[in-house]
Amino acid sequence: MKHSQLKEIIKKKASKIEFAIVTNLENGLSEIYQPKKSLSKDFDIHKDQIENFFKLKKNGVIENTEIFVETYIRPIKVIIVGAVHIAQYLVDFAKSLNFEISIIDPRGYFASEQRFPDMKIINKWPEEAFKEIETNENSALIALTHDPKIDDPALQHALNKKFYYIGALGSKKTHENRCQRLKESGFNNEQINSIHGPIGIKLGGRSAPEIALSIIAQLVSETYKK
Amino acid sequence: MKNSFDEKILEEANDWIKANQKVVLATVIQTWGSSPRPIGSRMIVNEKGDFSGSVSGGCVESAIVKECMGLIKENKTYKKIEFKVSNESAWEVGLACGGEISVYLEQII
Repeated sequence: MKHSQLKEIIKKKASKIEFAIVTNLENGLSEIYQPKKSLSKDFDIHKDQIENFFKLKKNGVIENTEIFVETYIRPIKVIIVGAVHIAQYLVDFAKSLNFEISIIDPRGYFASEQRFPDMKIINKWPEEAFKEIETNENSALIALTHDPKIDDPALQHALNKKFYYIGALGSKKTHENRCQRLKESGFNNEQINSIHGPIGIKLGGRSAPEIALSIIAQLVSETYKK
Repeated sequence: MKNSFDEKILEEANDWIKANQKVVLATVIQTWGSSPRPIGSRMIVNEKGDFSGSVSGGCVESAIVKECMGLIKENKTYKKIEFKVSNESAWEVGLACGGEISVYLEQII
């Protein structure tokens, strides 16, 4: 692989573009595949199969050929509400996982750049903040403020948009109250039960990094259940 | 849902090149049976034999390092190698799990 191509791949990854690397194992040549972009003659004869691998997000050697396809998938959007201590560890853990994190916190002193270097922090209330982030059923929400004023609107947004993972920090009692409020706002039991609360798998830990670990473990597990 | 893992090996490869090192990229391209790492798993090796990442659970990495160093020495750009179940002693290179993997090596030029 040429160094220029490696740099191009890194750039595409950083800008969250979906693509594939196609390699001819017989002559060592490789190219970047993107939908609607043309391939060189060498690879163009396998275009249909390459497209198929790309659609199925599959990696592997195309049958009866020496063409290897590796697809790059856009990271999953994870929205954290609350730029709190646990969030700092979540950001750390998520670095080596394919998650793209955005943090929402209307409280300026929490959402400071110094606490979260190189992070996208939206210093607005959730209703406003979600106008800036495109979300869908492939998005995840981690609500960490346990302040109904901040968490509830975010939870409502996530439920309405059918996020595949919704988790909310807080004790059983806090969660019961939260469920009651959501019920009063018109959400049904099925929707409310889809919220992971108290958030995280049962690890037993109490410190911020331990709680972050239990949350990220649950998030990964739910991602692969889908 | 599909979610690709990202161990940032390519980014690391780029850093090594910027530091004037020669880098070979090793990628798992095929697996049979119970292989320890999925297709697309990667490791990088430089001319001194330093490496990062993995293509198995530690079973074949040493052989990959040797092969990659050889590739740099011979100034070749690519090579495909296969690893099968090892019947030899535990120190022999092979996959204890009974799987088979095919690894593609390519030098970044």
